Amino acid sequence: MSAVVYLDNAATTPVDPRVVEAMLECLGPAGDFANPSATGHEPGRRARARVERAREEVAGLVGAAPGQIVWTSGATEADNLALFGAARFHRSRGRHIVTSKTEHPAVLDPCRQLEREGFEVTYLKPAADGIVSAEQVAAALRPDTILVSLMHVNNEIGVVQDVAAVGRTCRQRGVLLHVDAAQGAGKLPLDVERDCIDLLSLTAHKVHGPKGGGALCVRREPRLGLVPLQFGGGQERGLRSGTLPTHQVVGMGRAYAIAAAEMQADAERIGGLRDRLWQTLAAVPGVELNGHPTRRVPGILSVTVDGVEGESLLFSLADLAVASGSACATTSAEPSYVLRALGRSDRLAQSTLRLSLGRFTTLAEVEYAARRICEEIERLRAIAPEGIGAWRR
Amino acid sequence: MAAVSDDLRYGAEVRRRAREAPGAGEVPAGPDVVTGRAGNAEQGAVVSLQFRISGGRVVEGRFRAFGCPHFIAAASWLTDRLRGSARPDLEAWDWREAADSLGVPPAKFGRLLTLQDAVRDAARNWPGAAGSTV
Repeated sequence: MSAVVYLDNAATTPVDPRVVEAMLECLGPAGDFANPSATGHEPGRRARARVERAREEVAGLVGAAPGQIVWTSGATEADNLALFGAARFHRSRGRHIVTSKTEHPAVLDPCRQLEREGFEVTYLKPAADGIVSAEQVAAALRPDTILVSLMHVNNEIGVVQDVAAVGRTCRQRGVLLHVDAAQGAGKLPLDVERDCIDLLSLTAHKVHGPKGGGALCVRREPRLGLVPLQFGGGQERGLRSGTLPTHQVVGMGRAYAIAAAEMQADAERIGGLRDRLWQTLAAVPGVELNGHPTRRVPGILSVTVDGVEGESLLFSLADLAVASGSACATTSAEPSYVLRALGRSDRLAQSTLRLSLGRFTTLAEVEYAARRICEEIERLRAIAPEGIGAWRR
Repeated sequence: MAAVSDDLRYGAEVRRRAREAPGAGEVPAGPDVVTGRAGNAEQGAVVSLQFRISGGRVVEGRFRAFGCPHFIAAASWLTDRLRGSARPDLEAWDWREAADSLGVPPAKFGRLLTLQDAVRDAARNWPGAAGSTV
């Protein structure tokens, strides 16, 4: 076990050695390093073949055709391309967008920019368990609604939205559905055809692929129009100009292929570790789970600890790499807007830990982390004045 | 195996005191013990200071604190710093001394004001002070 137990896999994951191996094959002088657009020569064609193989692997994980995959630098760019691209292309049909208050900033910030450009955005408030229902979405739709954007798995609390039900609702009403699947793809089954998803944002680094690789899956039948965000060489059917980073794309493809093959086994093992962690923490008075108790991704556990100040808890757990209830950006001391949207007070939002497990998390690490968290909760409560919070021994 | 590196947002003395919390606890109750309290849990900082008084001076100090590492460290530091102090010393104590001694960043100065309020409260409760509850 390393000196610091890594339980921040929702932030990013270590790259799987099998992915590293595939990427290295695309980097050196003897590898497939050539520009995949330079198909006039053999090295370029080899790189192109690698890119297209990766496209098949990524598409295969989400039930799409390879031609639907547009490579991006990550989910943030994919979200931006989906939101700006769809809103600007379809603005003549309407200027209303529906999303939720607990989306990732990569969705919320583009929505705020679209508001400045004259669009109107409805931000749905989830229930206390973090779920946004299809009925809520349906009730928010208007004749001028052109787009709904809803995340698959929440990055802070791990709850899973019923995107299939929302997809059916949107399809019936002729509204586009964008789903940010950065946290869910590769961990839970997704199928863009079955689930009626028009635009799907994907990233590599949450599933043991490289940072800097992502994709937007775009509906092809009937063809969905998007206004590109960047212009240049016309790569990716003109939707995303720029030389493709072969090694990143190949790494993402390999990561998704591995995820597809090992999803069920990973989910069972990681979910079991998460449950073990929760069982230990749940026995401590004043520790509560955030989000729906069962509609959860296997690897994310968000717990609020009453009677303990969040920064001190995080400081005391220097031997654990975990995230706090301060907003997604770790530089911010502001309480998480996701936890606040669920009704947590500022104090309790600050006293929250996100523990996220991955493919390489071990039972020994989980048992160690559970013990250390319990120890530090007890120590900090012992030095606190009486009567802090509502918890009781 | 690499050691866990120190978090450099916190100075060495803050790290030591926040981890070990020397001075945490309570002075056994008695007529010679004064208590000062301040803070609000919703705002992230609550402190209770206790001092045993003998011969008009603090001879022992203890604290209980709910707050960030800087706040806990400063409360711990105070239990040492105020030993030997008389009531006028407590009335005059200024939070900037803790900020300077422990290298507390400006974002945390508000927490130190809470600590100053608790010291002032202890001075008000000093045996023989007007309105003292001791």
